[in-house]
Amino acid sequence: MNDVETVKAFIVDNFLFGESKELEEDTSFLETGIVDSTGILELVAFIEETFGIRMADDELIPENLDSISNVVNYLQRKARTGS
Amino acid sequence: MEPKNDMNICNKCVLPGTFPGIRFDAEGVCNHCRQAEKRRETLSQQKARYHQKFLDLLDRLKRETRNTQPGTGFAGSSYDVLLAYSGGKDSSYTLTLLKKDFQLRVLAITFNHGFVSKQALENIRIITHVLNVDHLMVSPNPKLLNEAFRQSIDSDLYPLKALERASSVCNTCMNFTKSILLKYAIALGIPLIAYGWSPGQAPIQSSVMRWNLSMIRQMQGVMGHTFKHLLGDDLSPYLLGESEFEKVKDSKMQEGIFLFNIHPLAFLDYHEEKIIEEIRSLGWVDPKDTDSNSTNCLLNAFANQTHQARYGFHPYASEIAGLVREGHMSRQEGLRKLSVPPDPVIVSQVKERLGIK
Repeated sequence: MNDVETVKAFIVDNFLFGESKELEEDTSFLETGIVDSTGILELVAFIEETFGIRMADDELIPENLDSISNVVNYLQRKARTGS
Repeated sequence: MEPKNDMNICNKCVLPGTFPGIRFDAEGVCNHCRQAEKRRETLSQQKARYHQKFLDLLDRLKRETRNTQPGTGFAGSSYDVLLAYSGGKDSSYTLTLLKKDFQLRVLAITFNHGFVSKQALENIRIITHVLNVDHLMVSPNPKLLNEAFRQSIDSDLYPLKALERASSVCNTCMNFTKSILLKYAIALGIPLIAYGWSPGQAPIQSSVMRWNLSMIRQMQGVMGHTFKHLLGDDLSPYLLGESEFEKVKDSKMQEGIFLFNIHPLAFLDYHEEKIIEEIRSLGWVDPKDTDSNSTNCLLNAFANQTHQARYGFHPYASEIAGLVREGHMSRQEGLRKLSVPPDPVIVSQVKERLGIK
């Protein structure tokens, strides 16, 4: 699975319980109510566990976490900078 | 081997077969327990890391803020931490830790939603008095909150994922509490916001976490979206205004020690018996009128009953499963807590006050 598929599978499995109909790559998790404030932190835990990175406090922003695209773009930036 | 879905309760934790998205393997163990076993970093490593992050934060806080003159922004606050204090066992214990063990200047704040047990109110008075802690009580008008609670019961306000962790009523109460704490922390320039969440209640990632403006805006937007059409302008005092966002910006939040979310019970030893023993020694008394999963809230029994009837699982199942999985509670005790029926008298009183037939 590529990163998009991995993140999508996690959201569908853990937040939508198998219902993937409404989830596009740029769907806002928070605005559509797919993920709530605590759920965002579960997403952080998943990202750290799955991709072996540590998210710094200042990286915990919607721009990095609020859609599949945002997460994948963040992962790509993180891989490029190596930090 | 095909996963089994016909199990009643996980053989390792307490999650039932009705829990959303649950799957059981051939040994009758749920996917949540198996997922926890596969974590790269062990729980004890994770706890040690967050404990250290917390100690480093306190070290920096004491070094950088206490020698600063008042009136120079957030660095000059009279308090180190604003604690959400319900009077229950976990927040009472967290208060003792913050004050006695970590030597912090604490302002305790209670969000009185109108259904706080009388004994819990007395516990709040006793504990803040014994520990010499300043205390604020915020009591929103009952018409507003009761309407929010009624809507929480009648409408689908939250995603199923949020309802995995807590009832709809609890989610509403927590949203108001978090928002009020943010407002007070910003207004008074208090750098840390603390909660007494037990290890199963919230991810450890939030146990020492800095808020940022972007995330606060997004969260407040979601709360506004959820309640504005139900409560209208009456909701405004409970949401951050632009002046508060501006104040956060002015404080150069990203550079300083502001604003951190902490919940120390996530990374410290958590033993319910030890906690109760410690706070009893300060004068705390077990309320007799709350349900088996709360030591402060009378609304909880009705909220749990409604949630269970609607979704088919107990709203505390996830939290208790986490405690059992992490060894903080025996499976037997967890199952007992989930099986105690609510007191029908309390449920009836709550329904009457909320105007629910």
